[in-house]
Amino acid sequence: MAKITIEDLKKIKERVHAETALRDGHLRVKVTVHMGTCGIASGAKEVMDALLKEIEEAGVTDVAVTTSGCMGLCSREPLVTVEILNQDPIKYEYMNSNKMRQVFKRHILEGEIQNPFVLARGAETQK
Amino acid sequence: MKVFRSHLLICGGTGCHASGSLNVKKALVAELVKRKLSEEIKIVETGCNGFCAMGPIMVVYPEGVIYMLIKAEDIPELVEEHLIKGRILERLLYREPTTEEIIPTMQEIPFFALQELRVLRNRGLIDPEKIEEYIARDGYQGMAKALTEMTAADIVQEILASGLRGRGGAGFPTGLKWKFAAASPGEVKYVLCNADEGDPGAFMDRSVLEADPHAVIEGMVIAAKAIGSGHGYVYCRAEYPLAISRLNIAIGQAKDMGLLGNNILGTGFDFDLEIYQGAGAFVCGEETALMTSIEGKRGMPRPRPPFPAIAGLWQRPSVLNNVETLANIGQIILRGGAWYASVGTEKSKGTKVFALTGDVNNVGLVEVPMGTTLGTIVYDIGGGIPKGKKFKAAQLGGPSGGMIPIQHLNAPIDYEKVAELGAIMGSGGMIVMNEDSCAVDMARFFMDFCQDESCGKCTPCREGTKRMLQILTNITQGKGKEGDIELLEEMAPIIKDASLCGLGQTAPNPVLSTIRYFRKEYEDHIRNHRCNAAVCTALFKSPCQHTCPIEMDIPSYIALIRANRMEDAYKVLLRTNPFPSVCGRVCDHKCQTKCRRGKMDEPIAIKFLKRFITDNAPRPKIEPVPVTRNEKIAVVGAGPAGLTAARDLALRGYKVTVFEELPEPGGMLRWAIPAYRLPRNILANEIADVTSLGVEIKCNIRVGRELSFDKLKKDYDYVYMAPGAHKSQKMGVAGEELPGVYGGVEFLRDFNAHEDAWVKGEKTMGSKVAVIGGGNSAIDAARVALRLGADVTILYRRERKDMPAADEEIIAAEDEGIKFEYLVAPLKIEAKDGKVSGITCERMKLGEFDRSGRRKPVAIPGSAFTLAVDAIVAAIGQVPDLTFVPKDSGVSVNKWDTFDLAEGSKSQTTDARFYAGGDAVTGPDTVIGAIAAGHQAARDMDAAIRLANSEAAYEEPVEEKIDIPLIIDEEGEEAPQGKMPELHGAERKTSFVEVELGFSMEDAVKEAARCLRCDAEV
Repeated sequence: MAKITIEDLKKIKERVHAETALRDGHLRVKVTVHMGTCGIASGAKEVMDALLKEIEEAGVTDVAVTTSGCMGLCSREPLVTVEILNQDPIKYEYMNSNKMRQVFKRHILEGEIQNPFVLARGAETQK
Repeated sequence: MKVFRSHLLICGGTGCHASGSLNVKKALVAELVKRKLSEEIKIVETGCNGFCAMGPIMVVYPEGVIYMLIKAEDIPELVEEHLIKGRILERLLYREPTTEEIIPTMQEIPFFALQELRVLRNRGLIDPEKIEEYIARDGYQGMAKALTEMTAADIVQEILASGLRGRGGAGFPTGLKWKFAAASPGEVKYVLCNADEGDPGAFMDRSVLEADPHAVIEGMVIAAKAIGSGHGYVYCRAEYPLAISRLNIAIGQAKDMGLLGNNILGTGFDFDLEIYQGAGAFVCGEETALMTSIEGKRGMPRPRPPFPAIAGLWQRPSVLNNVETLANIGQIILRGGAWYASVGTEKSKGTKVFALTGDVNNVGLVEVPMGTTLGTIVYDIGGGIPKGKKFKAAQLGGPSGGMIPIQHLNAPIDYEKVAELGAIMGSGGMIVMNEDSCAVDMARFFMDFCQDESCGKCTPCREGTKRMLQILTNITQGKGKEGDIELLEEMAPIIKDASLCGLGQTAPNPVLSTIRYFRKEYEDHIRNHRCNAAVCTALFKSPCQHTCPIEMDIPSYIALIRANRMEDAYKVLLRTNPFPSVCGRVCDHKCQTKCRRGKMDEPIAIKFLKRFITDNAPRPKIEPVPVTRNEKIAVVGAGPAGLTAARDLALRGYKVTVFEELPEPGGMLRWAIPAYRLPRNILANEIADVTSLGVEIKCNIRVGRELSFDKLKKDYDYVYMAPGAHKSQKMGVAGEELPGVYGGVEFLRDFNAHEDAWVKGEKTMGSKVAVIGGGNSAIDAARVALRLGADVTILYRRERKDMPAADEEIIAAEDEGIKFEYLVAPLKIEAKDGKVSGITCERMKLGEFDRSGRRKPVAIPGSAFTLAVDAIVAAIGQVPDLTFVPKDSGVSVNKWDTFDLAEGSKSQTTDARFYAGGDAVTGPDTVIGAIAAGHQAARDMDAAIRLANSEAAYEEPVEEKIDIPLIIDEEGEEAPQGKMPELHGAERKTSFVEVELGFSMEDAVKEAARCLRCDAEV
């Protein structure tokens, strides 16, 4: 390995910090890909791969991706929930890799909700 | 950059490795591959996470969910649930030990939430084998600043400003140490890191090296710049292979990157570092011995001066700092000394890492600001003492330190306070001890350690520790002599003053500290051959027997149950206890708290087995004993103390008359304890056994009323007074005199005297009743009121775990539907038409610890509320009523309304012909305590009479020989205590039929077979 300088030290810090930012808890957006059997069967895995790839390419560090089980609307899978800090969660239906890329670029990065794909706004409440 | 949607941080500290984290990791890797998740999810093995008791531990990010006690078999389910379905797997989450509450994330668990991480800031967050992850968290930034922006003097100044003191134990200001070494002339200087951690119970240095090795390296480079050194050593014991391995990797990476070696970061500064492995001698943690060891010689200390700052390793100026000290340095330089000094106390700045271990729920590494109280560390962070045991003391500073006992739980822990209390900060090992630890044995253990580790170079340490150990060993084996304690106290300062190094200078500390706080335990061992913690096995046959106030031969009667020899078992009971069937029902069974089986699973149900014998064996026939003595003896009070004394004295041939104020004998057994716990006929049978011996009981006679004190004095040669404590304490609130407000024992007495009238409803207290208090009489009163048809609420000012009532009683009350309000205290009794209509209470919160180790309830302002009730029972404590003793009688009564005893006597009052015992001497105590007092008084009175007559001492009649079978199972299987069958349903809540039904033969034999036979001698 080459000897480093103080400048290199800062670069390493920034690069690795982006990789480990997940552990800091300073997240702006949480994306949940619903991965029940129904979701996986209709392509949720490809949706998630696309999302992870987008995040990697964009180099953002404040977006967390999680999975969850079936949310009960199997006919509209793959479903993806996007929660931006201090905003209502948005649920997108019938997702695929292309739509996911669009949601990532336009909604997650730029804040513009992609209405044509939206299933619902807000969280489900339990009575 | 590779993005993963989730990071799994699995703890790879030595603790978690030992509990199986490597296998868990292996299973996890395999499962992720199998599920094709390896590209989305990253596994990181970190250093010690700190919560060692719960290992193996894994934290899942981004959620921050922490899983504990993971086994390899759990992995498929964990991956399926959490990582695929996104559902938290509850069964592997943290469960709060007292409330049983499930807490999913690390930040919410009090163990983590109350800590302030500086030294341990990277623990469980980075992969210690990847330098990049350290750099990502500001690693080497402090070093870069020190090398480029600061002069050596600036660095020293910054460290001085931080107030950092040596974390190895002595607490010498680090900046000052550096300043001396910097000022010392010389071309070659050394920076040394002391990682020879060896105190029993301390493991923070190992954990820092395992979790964050670069932090130590960074600190050493900065120290090197400050003193002008080009070479350093880390002296680490070879017993820390993982720490050494990670440190080696870290040094290699740092060298590769140019963060160590020549021209560091291109600044022109050179510093090289290597590890020196020590062989594990405790003395090598001593500065000068450590240096001698690195030089390749036998690790022994040498006299100072010259100090290492002048002539250290190879006679060159050197600084030696501890791992934790060095791990602080990078952050101090980066953030400034003022930042560091912003927490802590006046003279002790920053944070301190403690290795919390021993009898505490959350064993692990804890970092808190200096000045945090001991109680916060033990209870809030440590989660308290397992199995509801009582805190006794915390040993701070290992074998060089001392104990901080229960009365100092509020002490803010910093260098000054700890020294004032007779301990030392040491490296921060904090061993928590509960009531089952013996202070003398602890002192012996640490002295044994020091004696073993003494290098032998100087005489005071070599011979002194040996002599002290001999004396301590003798005391723990029952061979202690008067004067031993004083001899230890005389030797200690000499050894401290004359020893060459810190080992000998501190070795006597645990002895001095235990004598300071637990002198009575030493005296008990020496004079009475008693070890109240039941640790020093040479002093007793079995812990249960030793703990019983009347030393019942428990292992024997349990063995006889197993052999189905009930008649013999009953005889064994009666040798020491005139009331075995009473005790089989209502004894507080202290014996069970010390039962060795309890360390394995649960203690033996000794009380239930005792009852089983009395329920199932034929009752031995009692013959009257001929009166062979001239002296006439009177007993005042027919409770368990009085009747026991009467029985013992009758057996010795005395004519005994018992005077009882109430219409029937039995004391609290008859007049307080309700029949559903102790059926009347059971008690009556055992009292009949006493009268059958020839003891005369005269009821309805109160001394001072039907019989004057003077007449008693005139008519009888000796008097034993055991009138009990039958008066309730007042709450001290307005309205207490109203009709409808009862004292606890007064209510129970009235009920027990007029049971028919109460049950028929001729006497009534109303439909809503509040009972104030948390002791057994509060529970008794509440359960009686419930059976009379009332809706009952118990109000208690502390928490459930603090209630003095027996646990089984509290559970029974809860089962019967009694409501409990905790943390409330009465303020005022409300009245309507001259009758109770309610009680106004205030909510309490828990404040500081009191001397009993419980948190003091403090009122919450503005929290008052009123509970509508028809009657109030105040059962907050009892006092004796000793008004029958005239002031000028010569029998002295003290301000607590109990009898004063003559100097040196356990039963004689200030008038030589009058003896006293039971609650009237001790304040409210237990049945078994009263029986013990009765035995004591009988022995003392008989001895005094014989001495006065110049007669020979009494000789116990030869006991029938009962041979005790010895069946010991080779392999004990874990099995919980047998459950007592209970009455259920409507009958239980509406009648006074006995609730506990008694063991069946099968239950009893099975339970008896659980006994480990501690009494067996091999």
